[in-house]
Amino acid sequence: MSTKVLLHVGCPKTGTSYLQDVLFRNQKVLREHDVLYPADRFDAHFLAALDLMTLPWGGLETEAVGAWDSLAAQVRDWHGTAIISHEIFARATPTQVARALDSLGDAEVHLVLSARDLVRQIPAEWQENVKHRSHITYASFLRTIRDPARDSKIGSWFWAVQEIPDILDRWGASLPPSQVHLVTVPPSGSDRGELWRRFSHTFGLDGLDLDLAAERENPSLGVPETSLLRTINQRVTSVIAPPDYRPLVRELLAHQTLSRGVASARLGLAPDDHAWAQELCRSWVEAMADRGYDVSGSLDDLLGPALGTFADPDTVPADELLPPALDAISALLVEGARLRAVEERLHEELREARDERDRARLTPSYRVKRKIVTSLEDSAAGRGTLDAYRRARGRKQ
Amino acid sequence: MTGTTDPSARAHGWVAHLRDGGTTPWLAWSATGTPTARPLPGAQQLELLRRLNLDPRGPVTPELADRVLAAPAAGRGKADLPLVGLPHRGFGAAAVDPETISAHELLRVASVLLADDLVALGADPVATSWPRPWRRRIRLVGDPLVATATREHLLGVGRPEGGPRPFVVAIGRPLDELLARTWTQRCFETGATPWAEWLRFWRERDQLPDRADLVASVRRWGGRRPFVRVVTDLDLLPRQVGVRSLPVVRVPGADQAELARRVAAVVGLRVDRQERPGLMRTLQRRIPDSGAAPVGVPAREHEWVARSAARTVRAVTRRGYSVVGDLADLQPRPAPTSSVPSGPDDRQVLDLAIRMVVDPGWRRERQRREEVER
Repeated sequence: MSTKVLLHVGCPKTGTSYLQDVLFRNQKVLREHDVLYPADRFDAHFLAALDLMTLPWGGLETEAVGAWDSLAAQVRDWHGTAIISHEIFARATPTQVARALDSLGDAEVHLVLSARDLVRQIPAEWQENVKHRSHITYASFLRTIRDPARDSKIGSWFWAVQEIPDILDRWGASLPPSQVHLVTVPPSGSDRGELWRRFSHTFGLDGLDLDLAAERENPSLGVPETSLLRTINQRVTSVIAPPDYRPLVRELLAHQTLSRGVASARLGLAPDDHAWAQELCRSWVEAMADRGYDVSGSLDDLLGPALGTFADPDTVPADELLPPALDAISALLVEGARLRAVEERLHEELREARDERDRARLTPSYRVKRKIVTSLEDSAAGRGTLDAYRRARGRKQ
Repeated sequence: MTGTTDPSARAHGWVAHLRDGGTTPWLAWSATGTPTARPLPGAQQLELLRRLNLDPRGPVTPELADRVLAAPAAGRGKADLPLVGLPHRGFGAAAVDPETISAHELLRVASVLLADDLVALGADPVATSWPRPWRRRIRLVGDPLVATATREHLLGVGRPEGGPRPFVVAIGRPLDELLARTWTQRCFETGATPWAEWLRFWRERDQLPDRADLVASVRRWGGRRPFVRVVTDLDLLPRQVGVRSLPVVRVPGADQAELARRVAAVVGLRVDRQERPGLMRTLQRRIPDSGAAPVGVPAREHEWVARSAARTVRAVTRRGYSVVGDLADLQPRPAPTSSVPSGPDDRQVLDLAIRMVVDPGWRRERQRREEVER
């Protein structure tokens, strides 16, 4: 049985993809140090989260059957420390949290929540929505999440995975504060390794020789690139199904092509939204200050950066959309050419297989047999005879 | 309701009341109960339980009540909602009066209960019989409701579909009906996007879904002219598939299809991929009738449907396929008036879901032996 379980439940957009990639690629080294990251594929814990929370997810859920129970069983069977990590666990309801904690056995559960200020999270979440087929404008998105009713899908999801004190209430209610760890994302411009150092310290990975090269990240987009992607979504979301959207738009266009626009303006908040977000963050920090959680970093990190220049993604002029649009066309053409090559290769293989079959059929005996079969198939009696013959030969119908 | 009652104890009292079969709305509840170690269920679960108790076939048993209270609301919508009147911590979702929760939200919980019931029930056996050697070799395409029912019937009478050099029998219908039936059947298989969204997807692509595209379906099975029949007169279908008669096809109503669509999504999370078709087939056979009309193509999509139907008629004519019936029957029926509802009504769907959760009749009736063993 695991002696200790580190359960990392969020939040999205806090470097979780990088952390999970490092843990996944270093499973062997971790095991040698009695640390288990039980995953046979990089998104294993995502599937476990879908299963735990009964979340259909564009067809991916069919791969998640029993994933939570399987994950929990591996954790229970481990003798040392086990790590579970996925950011959408943040959305779990109190009933699901109780089920999750119960299924981890008697291990000492430590809750880990990585968190970032709303000033940076709001633009990042909007971008994430756009990368998941949404064509909601930035202004509408802000209106939606500022609506206290939280009636929309976007609003309810946003707060379920971003409202730090509420997530800690839901997940940490039954745990002593010393077993609740808050990892704050360092301010913009900090040393690139600082976030990893905070994770490493909290997860007890300091001193381990881990491969930290970034292989899987969730890169952010600039203002014109996000604006372009949103415009593309307006055209294609209703006609491109999720299984096609994921590789073609999200991966190829967003991650591999448009995210290269590092010189583009970064998305922020307008003055009014900035003041609101900072005020809300301040109230969260005050609420959490006396709870006695273990904080890696500083609660002040959650107040967010000062107001910067705001570039509105809803009003990007056409000339700024043109360069990323050309990049997108170019990437799609290259991908189209690659797929044509694949198609051609498959046709070639099919042609070879047909040629081989036709060569086999050229023999006189085959032609005679074929003629007999064709004649028999034209009558019920003939079909019966053929059927009996095939059954006698053990051939499938 | 008294002003001095501890709200948390009041909530626990209400949970116990509902668990015992009570039907009092939350805002009219004032008694207190003993808090338990379990977290307070969401307002959706509590209101659904109250509605189940209100059903004439209710109240529900404590075991079922516990299942309702523990069931999650499927999908990415709202998480469990807190009850209005309880102390609010200042964070989390806005508190609600459970009576005001929409049918859509309650259905998210009910569909989980029904999916679990279906999984516990298991798939009904498929009736099979020794294949008759002299059977006519056919491949069925087109109208998915008729094709599925016919396929099952043929399997049961020893005339399974397939075999060498089969006749491709394409079952045609007015295209608006064919589209509605394609979506409906898909709801009883893997699930689908909502009706209006699904229809818009195909209209904007100006394509037809595989099973509604007769010509593409025939081509996919390698059908060549002398071996293809396009059947638009269903009275003549039995002869085309080599039997004297076929059973009447049950056409699910919009509420049945919508409920199945929601259940299919949860079943996908509960069982391996290959088990879902059998379970959904079982649901299709057993889902109680409600009298609701099937989904229909709304007037705004009618022009596109008419254009697509004309294209299909041209393609069938050009290819020279034999037609059993009249090709004109592929044309859509006249466009409905805009006041006719074309899609499912959430309240009707919820009524059906409540009926199925409360009344286990649809789960109890095992198939009669003679239907299975021939």
